[in-house]
Amino acid sequence: MNDQLFAYKRENGRWGLRNHVLILPLHSALASSARAIADSSDGAVAISHDWSGEVDSDLARILFTFTGYASNPNNFAVIFLSIGSKEEIAIIEGAMSLGLTRSATLSLPQIGSIEKLQSQALDIANTYLQEAKVQERVKAPWSAIVLGLECGGSDALSGITANPALGVASDRLVELGATSVLGETTEILGAEHLLAARAIDPEVATRIVAMVARYEASINYEGIDIRGAQPSRGNIEGGLSTLEEKSLGAAKKAGNAPLTGVLEFGEKPVKPGLYFMDTPGHDIEQLAGFGAGHINVVVFTSGRGTPTGSAIMPTIKVSTNTPMYLSIPDLIDLDAGTIADGVETLTQVGDRIFTEILEVANGRLTKAELGGHHEFALSRMYNTVIN
Amino acid sequence: MSEKIQGFAHGNRGVGIRNHQLILPSVICSTHVARKIATEVGGVTFAHQHGCGIIGDDVAGIENFFIQLADHPNVNSVLVIALGCETIQGQELVVKLLKSNESTQYCIIQESGGVSGTVTAGVKAARELNNAFKPASVEIQSLRIGIDVGRATLVVAALEKLLTAAGHFVLISQSESSSAVSFSHLAQEKAQIIISFPSESQPTSGFPLMPVINVAGSAALHQAIRADFDIAEDEILESILDLISSVASGAQTIAEKNNSGEIRAPRVVRSV
Repeated sequence: MNDQLFAYKRENGRWGLRNHVLILPLHSALASSARAIADSSDGAVAISHDWSGEVDSDLARILFTFTGYASNPNNFAVIFLSIGSKEEIAIIEGAMSLGLTRSATLSLPQIGSIEKLQSQALDIANTYLQEAKVQERVKAPWSAIVLGLECGGSDALSGITANPALGVASDRLVELGATSVLGETTEILGAEHLLAARAIDPEVATRIVAMVARYEASINYEGIDIRGAQPSRGNIEGGLSTLEEKSLGAAKKAGNAPLTGVLEFGEKPVKPGLYFMDTPGHDIEQLAGFGAGHINVVVFTSGRGTPTGSAIMPTIKVSTNTPMYLSIPDLIDLDAGTIADGVETLTQVGDRIFTEILEVANGRLTKAELGGHHEFALSRMYNTVIN
Repeated sequence: MSEKIQGFAHGNRGVGIRNHQLILPSVICSTHVARKIATEVGGVTFAHQHGCGIIGDDVAGIENFFIQLADHPNVNSVLVIALGCETIQGQELVVKLLKSNESTQYCIIQESGGVSGTVTAGVKAARELNNAFKPASVEIQSLRIGIDVGRATLVVAALEKLLTAAGHFVLISQSESSSAVSFSHLAQEKAQIIISFPSESQPTSGFPLMPVINVAGSAALHQAIRADFDIAEDEILESILDLISSVASGAQTIAEKNNSGEIRAPRVVRSV
């Protein structure tokens, strides 16, 4: 095989497919500052979120998300904007212990005002960006690719075109020694037995079934039947009938490779292979979990189309049907509708997705990156209304 | 009230002290497109993580929250930016909004040719709304003032008395840890302006639709970032009426100057 991969080698043994300077606000009151700094810089990225340091039942999940996201290998450097709380310090230290080597912490109380914090952060960001530009990609093994598999706005063709084609690409990568991670527990409900049957050992099989049961129980606990809330209205308009039909199609993104392991939300895979990660179906919360799990490239299939992108992970979008691909040209990278049109075979589209992943991994920008789409959302297990 | 304040007549929304055009993303997926449009036309928008993957009481709860933001007295017109396949459907939201305010429009990303198509259509629609709905200037007799109480302080009772005696209507909201939930609550209660006493461990914050006057306490954090506060707690009783008059007449608070303000919708169920 002549396909070659070039990536950024990181201290923690992982590989970056991008060399981002991330402005990470550790308090929601600094989110608008983070965005302003990134917008004025020579190419830094920022996220915004709505955590204001609340110490509640979701704290551990939120800290885990931020430590993983900050130490994602696609980050060359991170600038933390902090109000100096002990939870924030724990995030910064946690990210360093997970392999983040270049970071600056701008403490609002030490600097004295938001205005000064923004101007200091901008100078540091531009210095990091200069350094990042100088670093060169080096020849990397296939294991450098940690691919995330996602779908959103599914329709009746998802399980016939884009998802199984992505499965072909995922299988090829796993066979070459890369890692591929399927997410969205909501969207394998009813199809978990098929993944369990492919588990490398009985423990993994038991874990995936238990994980899905735990997920459904957490929804039932709220007095809601998830099978009534899913498929979503958009899915039904797209021609899907039941949650099970959606799940059977969604699981096809993971191809036919053996299931190596099961990951909690934001957990990092430790060796190559195919994994399942427990994430919500909410596309953006799910992407945050992938970022925290050190995934460095994502393929996102969609029947309805979405602008969604990530600040740090290139996100390749694949349409399930050609009319959608043609109607929103600046959102979708590849069309898999050609399978339904009889123009291409599943394998041909799978090969195109594989090539696209490799080219994007080597630095070609996705449409979401070109459009600057940096959505981010924290996943919470509990409510946000205490009083 | 000693000095009269000129406000903006915003139809059924009431009289505002700001003349904001709200670019409202009905789902997180459209927040970025909404921001591009808002930047282009000078409107206000905000990032949020809602609109999809929500279940149970949150579907009606968050939709209702968006409706109340759109009905806020400081808002002149509303442009809803929808994706198309979300749980809270933009078109249906707009139908509900139109019942009380005709100055409402929407664009759907999946039906407008993607991002660039939606930005073009959205900028056009926002400008049309601005041209079609010019608010008249009216004198405000009484303001709805929200007080966010994030810390134990004796001054709030005296402040409430002072503001009430000056002819204003006062709403009080206790915030447990951060002010974000309190601000959302006060927005739903149609407060035109907020006076915030953040907790000792919290910095200043803002809200996209309302000017927030941040009051510094004696805590170390507040003293360290005194420059981000509009006023100190020990000078509030003597200065607040003048400050309110000036802010209500258009002077920007520090949070407004910093464009500070994220919105956190109250959510009662986990996302899916």
